[in-house]
Amino acid sequence: MSKFNSILQKLDSLDRRIIFLIIGLVVLLPLLIPLNLPVEATGLTRDAFEAIHHLPDDATVLMSFEYGPSTKPEIHPMAVSVLRHFMSRGYKVVIMCLWPDGLFMAREAIDEVLRDEKFSNLVYGVDYVNLGYRPGNEAVIKGITKSFAANYTVDSRQTDIMDIPLMNDVRTVADVDFIFSLSAGYPGAIEWVLYASDPLQIPVSSGNASIQVNQLLPYVKSGQMQGVIAGMPGAAEYEALMEEYGLWPTRGQAAKSMDAQSIAHLVIVLFIILGNISYFAKRKSQKKY
Amino acid sequence: MYTDVFGAWVAVFLTLAIFSYLYKDNPFYKLAEHVYVGVSAAHWATIAFWSQVRPNLFGRLWPYMDPAELSGFNVVWYKLYNALNWMSGTIFPENGIPGNQTQSFMYLFALVLGIFMLLRLVPSIGWLSRWSLAYVVGMAAGLRLYGYLSSDVLSQIQGTILPIWTGSLGESLNNIVLIVGVVSGLFYFFFSVEHKGVFGKISRVGIYFLMITFGASFGFAVMGRISLLIGRLTDLIEFSKRQYGYATYILLAVMIATIIITTRRDKEIAE
Repeated sequence: MSKFNSILQKLDSLDRRIIFLIIGLVVLLPLLIPLNLPVEATGLTRDAFEAIHHLPDDATVLMSFEYGPSTKPEIHPMAVSVLRHFMSRGYKVVIMCLWPDGLFMAREAIDEVLRDEKFSNLVYGVDYVNLGYRPGNEAVIKGITKSFAANYTVDSRQTDIMDIPLMNDVRTVADVDFIFSLSAGYPGAIEWVLYASDPLQIPVSSGNASIQVNQLLPYVKSGQMQGVIAGMPGAAEYEALMEEYGLWPTRGQAAKSMDAQSIAHLVIVLFIILGNISYFAKRKSQKKY
Repeated sequence: MYTDVFGAWVAVFLTLAIFSYLYKDNPFYKLAEHVYVGVSAAHWATIAFWSQVRPNLFGRLWPYMDPAELSGFNVVWYKLYNALNWMSGTIFPENGIPGNQTQSFMYLFALVLGIFMLLRLVPSIGWLSRWSLAYVVGMAAGLRLYGYLSSDVLSQIQGTILPIWTGSLGESLNNIVLIVGVVSGLFYFFFSVEHKGVFGKISRVGIYFLMITFGASFGFAVMGRISLLIGRLTDLIEFSKRQYGYATYILLAVMIATIIITTRRDKEIAE
């Protein structure tokens, strides 16, 4: 018993590098040997999916990229899934970026989606357009509530915005039927609610980095946002819904990564429990002497 | 193809260099850190210049104009532009910036404020940058005031005014928890009365709600960090393949060997 107690106490002074190594291994192993754990959509993701799925057939949607490589593993899978969903439903997609890196994320997502033959007939400038990045944070959002042309003279390919057929019908953000923000922080989903969705009553939803989800839940609860895709699990759930609705047949990147995510969470919970036991064991022994 | 392989080697090197910090601070980490800061700043500046400053500022001050159509002040104005064109024909092409911009001298105001901001680099007149900052702060405050009042205050208050009984037990319970959480949380942040008695008990409930919120935030933060680790490891697995020249294995071996050698050498010097 005393040996067990001393092991518990030693845990308290365990070299942190051993913990890093264990976490690294429990994340790596499921990536090498997939477990294919089931993924089921929760209410938040389903709300976002349903809101998108039931837009009118001729809807125009605005997709804003507010993330970069640092949050790519979480947000990029949902960007691909949501863009694929928009294009599968035949919506016109206007893409813009409030983060400089968002431009590259948008290009990657577009390329990945268009690789499928199903979308080979889509024409740039008619079915979708990438307006690119503009600095100015919420001022850009505020600006496009008045005029796209005043903020975007050219798109990301340096094409005059007046020469883009899709933009002839989209003069301001009020001309879009839905806003979807892929957000990893500021500026992001909250700014879209504050400066575009609420004032103009445009439905908005968002795919977020996990760390931002707690800030967005009040907007969902109050009906200001139509669901939220929360981090990597949310992206995996969205992929599951795409499969359920017959829009995409295969398990995506997020679903594949969820095995590692789940196992890592279990190990972290175990560490927390062990850490607490060790703490109390140490306290008890200190009281004893 | 070669650029893909080169990109993979760079990505693997930088990833492993950053991870190496988990063992201890070392030159690989320092190099990756400095590269990251430098590249980020340069990347942001380049994107901002070509997507905003050039088309939306210079493009509005000097939109493309046929030299034959120039008249009045524009004759002098475009002569000034020609001097810029002489400096860089790529940034300032002949006869103005192409695009559909209409000329607006209002943007001179933005240009001047932008120049003032850069004057921080000249200590004797650096105080001028405060004017630009004052404009930015004032504009942001004004812009946000309405948004916060409308969406964060009014709509959130509206979202909290909920029926205690809706006919569904689950929903009603949810509403009660939400109302109790909001009210007790507000009690906790009311500092004009001492937190004791009934007031103290309610604010204590508020603390529990806050703790649960922080716990949930921490949980989400952990989830986010694990997702990022998954992203890096997925790339490392991908780049360990033959088509990328076994980049992960080779660089990992080189880095481990280098760190072991330098650690031993440091120990010897210390002894």
